[in-house]
Amino acid sequence: MKKILTLIAIIITFFIIYFLQANFFTWFTINGVMPNLFVIFVLWIGLFIGKKSGLIFGLLFGIYIDILIGKTIGLSGIMLGIIGLIAEYIDKNFSKDSRLTIMLIIAASTAIYEIGIYIFQIIKWKISPEILPFIQTLLIEILFNVILSIILYPIIQKLGNIAESKFKSKTILTRYF
Amino acid sequence: MYKSKKTGVIGITITIIILILIVILSNTDIKEVSYIENILGSIVMPVQNGLTYLKNKIEGNDSFFIELESLKKENETLKQKNSELEQSLRELEIIKSENQTLKEYVNLKEKYQDYQTIPAYIINRDISNFTKTIVINVGEKDGIKPKMTVISDKGLVGYIISTTKSTSKVQTIIDPSTSVSSIITTSREEIIVSGTLESNTNLKATYIPTNATLLENDNIETSGLGGIYPKGIHIGTIKQIINTQNSIDRYAIVETAVDFSKLETVLVITNQVEE
Repeated sequence: MKKILTLIAIIITFFIIYFLQANFFTWFTINGVMPNLFVIFVLWIGLFIGKKSGLIFGLLFGIYIDILIGKTIGLSGIMLGIIGLIAEYIDKNFSKDSRLTIMLIIAASTAIYEIGIYIFQIIKWKISPEILPFIQTLLIEILFNVILSIILYPIIQKLGNIAESKFKSKTILTRYF
Repeated sequence: MYKSKKTGVIGITITIIILILIVILSNTDIKEVSYIENILGSIVMPVQNGLTYLKNKIEGNDSFFIELESLKKENETLKQKNSELEQSLRELEIIKSENQTLKEYVNLKEKYQDYQTIPAYIINRDISNFTKTIVINVGEKDGIKPKMTVISDKGLVGYIISTTKSTSKVQTIIDPSTSVSSIITTSREEIIVSGTLESNTNLKATYIPTNATLLENDNIETSGLGGIYPKGIHIGTIKQIINTQNSIDRYAIVETAVDFSKLETVLVITNQVEE
């Protein structure tokens, strides 16, 4: 029952993030660049819930985003799914109890997500790569996500520990040995 | 990272303040911070005035300060007059703006009289930094189909890429994957304009014929080739011409006629005239 409630809370959080991203962060930007809260959210799911939930939720949320606003159905789904998988891999190999680790994971995941999407767009739409503007925008987006991760870290940890105790209670602490 | 709960809260508060400052500073034009200039100026200016007075005294050039009182009075009168003029100017600006909007609608109706259009509101904007699509509130039930052209009172916006019953996705001309076959209105030379990652207001004009004469402020409109956009829809004006060593590679920056950051309403052309 508690697991179902957690899953419902995840879905509600996704919609809250969607509305934040589509409204608040369209004007609360750094030099016109928005953060990507979906990457942070899918990372959180992968890190703290595990059991391929990062992959599944990443895929589902990404496909939903593509249906709502994207040009290619499935692209965001695949990339968010990959981020979810990476998060689960990181959880098995690194400690996530440090703010710095979380910041680095978020920075790397944002880069992987956006580079993946951009490469796909170059191939699919045959657009000429604009390397410098892309890097510039990407760096600002990474900075924005990292700043948000510093602010959200206590919430990420607290809610993460609650979710982890419900979904991964039997395997907890094994990574430290 | 933080040693206690208190320092943690302080750290987060400082980060939030820094984030807000970065957002404000990165999006604020220097012209919009004149009030800060006033505040900062009020700290420095009295001292600066004193120093100038001393400097003038030393140099024997103090006539300006002797006439200070009369100048103050004159200044007050001028300020009063200035404020009255500003008020009139504001009223005129409002009238001018209303007149302009009405003119644009009349022109639009005349210009695109061959086309049947459906008005629509933008209800969603892209949540990615690398694509520039929008969602409008008309769909299949309003007769909207993919590849229909979307315009605004100023010019070309984009085309419909997909529809649902009540909404449609529009790929704008500023999206990096959009290319529009266009012509320069004065010379009738054909070029291709494409969206860029760099800007939401500029397009890149390429495939410019080597013998073509390009001038800044030349208008660009759709050529009608390519099967999506009808002929003669205004796209923008040439802002800058970038000449390269090889004339084949030269390109131009085209400023879009439509201000996409302020775009709220659009028109979908439902009966495109086949060329």
